[in-house]
Amino acid sequence: MKLKYFSLFISIIGILILYLIAKLSQIPLIELNEMSEYEGKQVILEGLVDEYQFSKQGNQIIKIKDDNDTAIIFIDGETEIEHGDIIQAIGEVQKYGSDWELIVSNINYIKILKKWQNNSIPLWQLAENPLKYLNLNVNVTGHIESISNAYFYIVDLEKNHSLIVFYRLSKNITIHPGQKVNVLGKFSFDKDKFRYQIELCEEQHDVLYTTQE
Amino acid sequence: MLPLLLVIFFCIFGVLTGIATGLLPGLHVNNIALILLSLSGTIISSFSFLYDYGISKEFILLLICVYIISTSISHTFHDVIPSTFLGAPDEDMALSVLPAHSLLLEGKGYEAVAISAMGSYGAILFCFLLIFPIRFIIGSPLFFYEVLKDIMLFVLIAISILMIGTEKGKIDDFLKEGKIPAIIGMLFATFVFFLSGLFGIIIFEIPVDSPIGLSSPVLFPALAGLFGTPTLITSLMTKPVIPKQIIKNPILDKKFKKSSSMSIITGSLGGILVSIIPGITSATGTVIAMNARGESSKKQTIITLSAVNTACAFFVVVVMFIILKSRSGATLAAMELISVTEWINILMPSNLSYLLIALLLGGTLSYFLTLKVGKIFAKKFANVPYALIVKSTISLVVILVFLFTGILGILILVVATFIGLLPVEWGVRRSHCMGILLIPIIIYFL
Repeated sequence: MKLKYFSLFISIIGILILYLIAKLSQIPLIELNEMSEYEGKQVILEGLVDEYQFSKQGNQIIKIKDDNDTAIIFIDGETEIEHGDIIQAIGEVQKYGSDWELIVSNINYIKILKKWQNNSIPLWQLAENPLKYLNLNVNVTGHIESISNAYFYIVDLEKNHSLIVFYRLSKNITIHPGQKVNVLGKFSFDKDKFRYQIELCEEQHDVLYTTQE
Repeated sequence: MLPLLLVIFFCIFGVLTGIATGLLPGLHVNNIALILLSLSGTIISSFSFLYDYGISKEFILLLICVYIISTSISHTFHDVIPSTFLGAPDEDMALSVLPAHSLLLEGKGYEAVAISAMGSYGAILFCFLLIFPIRFIIGSPLFFYEVLKDIMLFVLIAISILMIGTEKGKIDDFLKEGKIPAIIGMLFATFVFFLSGLFGIIIFEIPVDSPIGLSSPVLFPALAGLFGTPTLITSLMTKPVIPKQIIKNPILDKKFKKSSSMSIITGSLGGILVSIIPGITSATGTVIAMNARGESSKKQTIITLSAVNTACAFFVVVVMFIILKSRSGATLAAMELISVTEWINILMPSNLSYLLIALLLGGTLSYFLTLKVGKIFAKKFANVPYALIVKSTISLVVILVFLFTGILGILILVVATFIGLLPVEWGVRRSHCMGILLIPIIIYFL
């Protein structure tokens, strides 16, 4: 067979073989509660960053969560994630004590799918599943209502839900009643008053104006 | 004074490396950049004695960048030598391959090298003049890149259509009547483009892994296979009868000078375009420049092609500081090594000015060295153990691919080589293989 026909034949066969390899070697994306079924295997996990801490050895431990479950990720290295980011991690499932952990060998295997600032959540969604976002940074949309010196309320258009927002920011913010805004802050629960709230207390927290509907 | 001397030293060292990578067909400067990036920690510790002379770690990293950038510029000058002398085709293929080969078959191999060096150096000078205008056009106040970003999808589709639409290769294996061979040629070009695109989409899903823990870029075996090894294999298979070479400098009459200036200008502008738009390479830039240029005499084609290559290697560095994006392996490594601050004011960032020294000095040295090495080749290439060099280069590429990407990388290299052989064997342009990047990028923008 002439080289020109041979190369045509091998190119097509080769691409088919590579396609099969790609399909077979694809790492499965699993739910957080399925980790026990994948011990010692490579998997992909996705979830919201709930907590994270750094070790003295230069490692990072991240707790992620989805609607019902949580998972621990151990990374050999340090990433620049924040509470409330949606991340994807690729690593090996291992048992550590009684817990399942995902061991990630390289920080390149941690991908931020959505920064918390870019993940705009309407008030009703927060009200439906507050535990999912508890103690995380959130970006909530709503309309401003009843402003005081230290706090204001945001409500949705139909005024079905309202949420108190405390602000202790070093920068100045100008707000007016009725304005549609994105509130970027930490969603928490006030045990004394028995209510959910948003606190604006860190550098990255802010109130951004959006165009009126 | 010491920092400047070190920049000059690393630049000269880079130029010399560029001669090696330029002369070894199939060994691309991007591979060298990747190797250096993996070894940067070792390099820093070997130069740690410079700390005693007030040289910081950041500056040593900048010196590694100077080295990589000088290598890339020198490479664009010297790679004409193997493609002229080593990759020489037999007479049947002469029309469908690079014009430098056909000049070699006329005994004018050195002239091909000399005018290529002229095109490259002309591009360096022209690009230097354009640094500030381009800075103001693609950055503030005109923000051309922002406009381009919004229409990038259409630009990439237009470039793809232009590449396929201007295919002149004819395939007469099936029907020889009328325009049918030309139409089949164009259809085959489309086939190669989409096959490469499919290949590109698939390989990004394959988890390649280095057996010795190096970073594993999947594009390395793919690009080495599409563009490197097919040249080496075909040059091993062809046994051209090459006439004795006449060593004389090209005659630069008024008409030639005027025509060459046009080639340098269009070639440089094509190269600049390549340095801004993602997913296209110098080959595409050449197609655009040649279409804009109109004339296609052998010598002017060589000048345009060399100008595109060098202008691209020059401007990827400048553009990196304006749009903060890397468009080549060399700048990808640079961005990992040094802090690239956006060029906002009139005054350029200090890191860019050091790299500009490397580009200008490297370009000037490369010009003279290309003439020198070209002359030696023209005189002695009959004695060069050319089959041995080519075989060694293939072995080197295979070893590097294995070290960086393991056994799956080797498989990708093999498949890529056969895809890369398609345009060579069927007589269409090899740039259609750039579908490997263009199609995934187009899909991304969709």
